[in-house]
Amino acid sequence: MIQDQPLAETVRVYVWEWPVRVCHWLIAGSIAVMAVTGLYIANPGPITTGLASQRSLMGLVKLIHYSTAIVFGIAVISRIWWMFAGNNYARWDKFVPASTKRWKALGPTLGYYLFRLRKPPGFVGHNPLAGLAYTIVFAVYLIMLGTGLAMYSVSAHVGSPLRWFTFLVPWFGGLSTARWLHHGFMWMLIGFAVHHVYSAVLMSQVEANATVESIFSGYKFVPREDLVYSGYRFIDRKDTRG
Amino acid sequence: MTHIVVDPVTRIEGHLRIEAEVDGGKVQDAWSSSTMFRGIELILQGRDPRDAWVFTQRICGVCTTVHAIASIRAVENAIGAVPPPNARLLRNLIIAMQAVQDHVVHFYHLHALDWVDIVSALSANPARTSSLAESISDWPLSSAKYFAGVRDRLKGFVERGQLGPFANAYWGHPAYKLPPEANLMAVAHYLEALDWQREVIKVHAILGGKNPHLQSFLVGGMATPVDPDKQSSLNADTLASVRALITKAHDFVARVYIPDVLAVASFYKDWAGYGAGVGNYLVYGEYPEDEGPTAPLFLPPGVIRGRDLTKVERLDPSQITEMVSHSWYEYDGGDGKALHPFQGETRPKYTGPKPPYDRLDTAAKYSWLKSPRYAGLPMEVGPLSRMLVAYASGHARVKELVGTVLQKLNVGPEALFSTLGRVAARAIETLVLAEKQGEWLDQLAANMARHDLRTHDNAKWDPSSWPSDATGAGFHEAPRGALGHWVHIRNGAIANYQCIVPSTWNAGPRDASSQRGPYEEALIGTPVADPAKPVEILRTIHSFDPCLACGVH
Amino acid sequence: MSDRENWFIDELERRGVSRREFLGFCTVMTSALALPAALSARVAKAIQGAEKPVLVWLEFQDCCGNTESFLRAARPTVADIVLDTLSVDYHETIMAAAGTQAEEALRTVVGDKKGQYLVVVEGSIPTFESGAYCTIGGRAAIDIAREVCGGAAATIAMGTCAAYGGLPAAAPNPTGALSVRDAVPGIKNLVNLPACPANAENITALLVHYLTFKYWPPLDEFGRPLFAYGQLIHDNCERRAHYDAGQYVEAWGDEGHRTGYCLYKMGCKGPVTFQNCPRVRWNEGTNWPIGCGHPCVGCAEPDFWDKMTPFYNHLQGPPFLGPGYTVDRVGVAATAGIAAAFATHGLISYIKRSREKPEPAPATPQSTDAKKGDAV
Ligand code: HEM
Ligand code: HEM
Ligand code: NFV
Ligand code: SF4
Ligand code: SF4
Ligand code: F3S
Ligand SMILES: [Mg+2]
Repeated sequence: MIQDQPLAETVRVYVWEWPVRVCHWLIAGSIAVMAVTGLYIANPGPITTGLASQRSLMGLVKLIHYSTAIVFGIAVISRIWWMFAGNNYARWDKFVPASTKRWKALGPTLGYYLFRLRKPPGFVGHNPLAGLAYTIVFAVYLIMLGTGLAMYSVSAHVGSPLRWFTFLVPWFGGLSTARWLHHGFMWMLIGFAVHHVYSAVLMSQVEANATVESIFSGYKFVPREDLVYSGYRFIDRKDTRG
Repeated sequence: MTHIVVDPVTRIEGHLRIEAEVDGGKVQDAWSSSTMFRGIELILQGRDPRDAWVFTQRICGVCTTVHAIASIRAVENAIGAVPPPNARLLRNLIIAMQAVQDHVVHFYHLHALDWVDIVSALSANPARTSSLAESISDWPLSSAKYFAGVRDRLKGFVERGQLGPFANAYWGHPAYKLPPEANLMAVAHYLEALDWQREVIKVHAILGGKNPHLQSFLVGGMATPVDPDKQSSLNADTLASVRALITKAHDFVARVYIPDVLAVASFYKDWAGYGAGVGNYLVYGEYPEDEGPTAPLFLPPGVIRGRDLTKVERLDPSQITEMVSHSWYEYDGGDGKALHPFQGETRPKYTGPKPPYDRLDTAAKYSWLKSPRYAGLPMEVGPLSRMLVAYASGHARVKELVGTVLQKLNVGPEALFSTLGRVAARAIETLVLAEKQGEWLDQLAANMARHDLRTHDNAKWDPSSWPSDATGAGFHEAPRGALGHWVHIRNGAIANYQCIVPSTWNAGPRDASSQRGPYEEALIGTPVADPAKPVEILRTIHSFDPCLACGVH
Repeated sequence: MSDRENWFIDELERRGVSRREFLGFCTVMTSALALPAALSARVAKAIQGAEKPVLVWLEFQDCCGNTESFLRAARPTVADIVLDTLSVDYHETIMAAAGTQAEEALRTVVGDKKGQYLVVVEGSIPTFESGAYCTIGGRAAIDIAREVCGGAAATIAMGTCAAYGGLPAAAPNPTGALSVRDAVPGIKNLVNLPACPANAENITALLVHYLTFKYWPPLDEFGRPLFAYGQLIHDNCERRAHYDAGQYVEAWGDEGHRTGYCLYKMGCKGPVTFQNCPRVRWNEGTNWPIGCGHPCVGCAEPDFWDKMTPFYNHLQGPPFLGPGYTVDRVGVAATAGIAAAFATHGLISYIKRSREKPEPAPATPQSTDAKKGDAV
């Protein structure tokens, strides 16, 4: 049994299955493309010269934005599906802090970030705070899809199934509101990305568990005790010295 | 003593209520109240000053250009933007066409039915109407056949039994003095003017995108590009359309409106003895003929006190204040204060009767209008004030036309201080402006020919080029009179915005020292034959061309 | 042809409108309403055969702009007839009667024509101070609206103020102004005809549609007829080719402005505004705002005074931050703040860790694989 082995030992765990990794990178990549194209849509320039009929800079940028939106949409939906089909670490309950265990570990995790604790509670997959952040990020994905579809739907050609999404327009308080929400939430994603990459690097360093590599390879290296207690230790023992 | 209430006063813009005491067949005292408030000065706070004109424009859809103009001038004054010559000329053209169209619509569609008995027109003889028309003008639509057509059309309308907007009026009232033929002629021109106004206002559509609520104004200039070589700019073709419409406008004014006013007035000369009002006249002046704040104005500014035409005072904007002693507002420092608009406050506080109500408490506060004062005095503003100041300042064309009109009616200059005087002054002003428009168009064309295509002062567009704290005032002569907007800009946003509007001046209530406003004063002595049908009150009130959406804002 | 129809044709001719012009007008109206051409005869018949339906026009917290717009109704002489087709029994701006006589005219309609008359409302309806922010004849607007609209066959909320609250309802809405729909919930057959003001072309088209078919055209989620508000300005704009090409006006009066480039960068709200301005234009097709070089301000959209401002920025800033705070400015600042916060965090972590005595080196990665059944 695992209890027999020394707790300090690290274990190689297959955390991120390939669909998680593929979706992650499709999402991250498409956000990058859509942020760049979106920023151009919002602030076009420099302007083109010559015959309008022979130029299509904005048209092209928008085409890229919309095409990437398809990739993004499929990746997001697939990842949500995998929350129910994938392994334990990919499950929906690793996002929403629905269990008491994850709920109670939120504080200590935050405490770690605020230098109150020396080590974070050891979770193999997402720590509860990261999970919560990802929940919000997934909600933002849905808002981006919703507002984007709302804006797209009203100009979709007659007969296109995308027209159906016009019902979203009043949901988002009209097109002008949908538009600035779309734009504003892009900045939330950019802000998240800054924090997220930093945290990944930090965790990789502190826990020396190959967090960064894991999103490429799928494997993390975690202390066996994390595998055993998975965060309990902090809550039960109130052990601030880790 | 009979207390009469006229509410709604119709054929005006907005919500006006007149209460009056009538005794011995004459008005002894009167109160003017506006019963609608929106709070646009409050809505403007905190917003981008470059947006303000779009908001203030919606103060009124009748004088649809004027608050836009006053607003951009106020902001330009605050931030130091100077619109280039083409913008000034475009604005002059727009302003003048607004006045011309508005005045004609006022005369035929808002005012005429006080003087013209439609029912009496049914019994007119078309042949005699034709000779009447031909005796006063060479306007081509004047055959007996034409007037017979109008009469039959009217008959058909009446016989169908649904009088619509003409139902329930004062037809047959003894105060109507026109013979049936003159009534029929007026009805014909009522209908023609309806077509004419829709046509000539296309100048606004060409230069401003649409009417009502033109959409080409900008702080610092105009959004209308001018370029003789571009199809999307004002070019020779569009200038020609403007030219044609200006001609059409002038034609109708000179050959229909002016002769009609003279004809109608000749039957109502007694109205040169009623409706004088406060006898003080205020004019900011309008139609800059050059760039910058000291540019000469085609219609001069000035103040006349106590009907003294021998002296025109220089206008001093610092003498302007507003009081709320009889208005449903409160002032921070006490309701008795008189505040200059830079210190102005808009704090609505309703203290009137709870609706539904029959009577206002006229001893207390009784209107949503404030009481503007100049050096403590109530002032009349509008076409009469403008023509008086121009006349007294020696404006050649105005002097000539005023002289002609007085001579044709065989009355002296004192007749101008009256209900009839307002009607005549409005007509004279319309003609002066209709004649002038072509000149500005010529100047615009000349600039374009020299390839001066500037329409905007881009240097001051970006708020980072503005001082962090600035105040500005924008003055304008709107159709109904002197209009001022005052703006205080702090860190790129509006900190305070105050408007004092022609109809605030004219329709405002009493002030702290119980001086009546111009409407109230003008009604004193107005005869009322039948208190149940106070058409005479309408005559004097309508002669001011009330606009209460403007007045209260 | 019946007498009534003859009367009508005579009437037309008296006004210098030939029968042919009239039928032409009906065809234009039919196509404005996107109806099959065969229906144009029916439109003609409906206009001339109808009893003059009674129309009551109420003005509340308005600027009269919609009335003025109505006076500019296109297809001149015939539009005039469309007015005659109705009996406008109450309209304060044009009616001859005043005071008690005017109130009586309204009472007569409401009393005698219950359920048969049409109402146009122009302007919003204030609710604070028991309605004292707008009274007529001593009665609060909201009372009048309840009674008059309540008894009407149908109500048209004309202009953005009546349709959505408009300018008086703009923040901070000092008078508690509401749209007709919100002030008088549940009234029958309410059609919103927004824009500030509503375009005369759409006013006429709507009335003709109703007079012809006795029902209102299909409406969108915001209660607007699809025939006039079914498409974005942006999707029908004459400058769209320049938009797609990436050719924009950069400064007022510049070469692009004079050439007719797209006004997007100057704040155009065409991409978020539904109305048929680019197609029907204004003042008998003379021009329209974008045609004249100024951006659309979105005047037909609910709450455009708050949602489309600042007008010279095509994207609204986060509300309540005031002018100058664009989404990008706030976004860049927030991102910079986050980056700074984490840089600080990183620095502190680094310093703290380097001060601590080095812990025993963590286990090396070549440890055992987790087995099935391991707890998580
Ligand atoms: C999460 C990734 C996304 C980002 C960062 C993003 C970013 C942006 C930005 C910044 C704009 C410009 C908004 C403005 O200021 O006018 C924009 C416009 C737009 N985006 Fe996205 N977007 C994303 C996803 C989507 C999706 C999933 C759709 C779905 C169809 C979409 C459709 C649109 C549309 C229709 C526009 C309006 C383009 C126009 O002006 O016509 N976007 N996007
Ligand atoms: C726009 C950029 C990115 C977004 C929106 C994003 C979003 C996410 C989300 C939602 C997750 C949860 C994974 C899941 O269960 O699906 C995740 C996990 C992860 N991402 Fe990203 N990601 C971005 C970029 C990156 C980059 C550039 C890296 C690498 C440096 C990275 C490294 C990781 C790692 C290591 C995890 C797993 C971490 C853990 O669960 O503790 N991400 N990311
Ligand atoms: N009073 C007034 Fe106006 C005018 N002329 C505004 O400034 O009418 Ni609506
Ligand atoms: S919608 Fe516009 S035009 Fe109509 S009443 Fe309101 S402000 Fe005036
Ligand atoms: S001018 Fe406005 S509506 Fe026209 S294409 Fe440009 S952004 Fe669209
Ligand atoms: S501002 Fe209004 S008039 Fe048309 S072009 Fe825009 S909707
Ligand atoms: Mg004021």
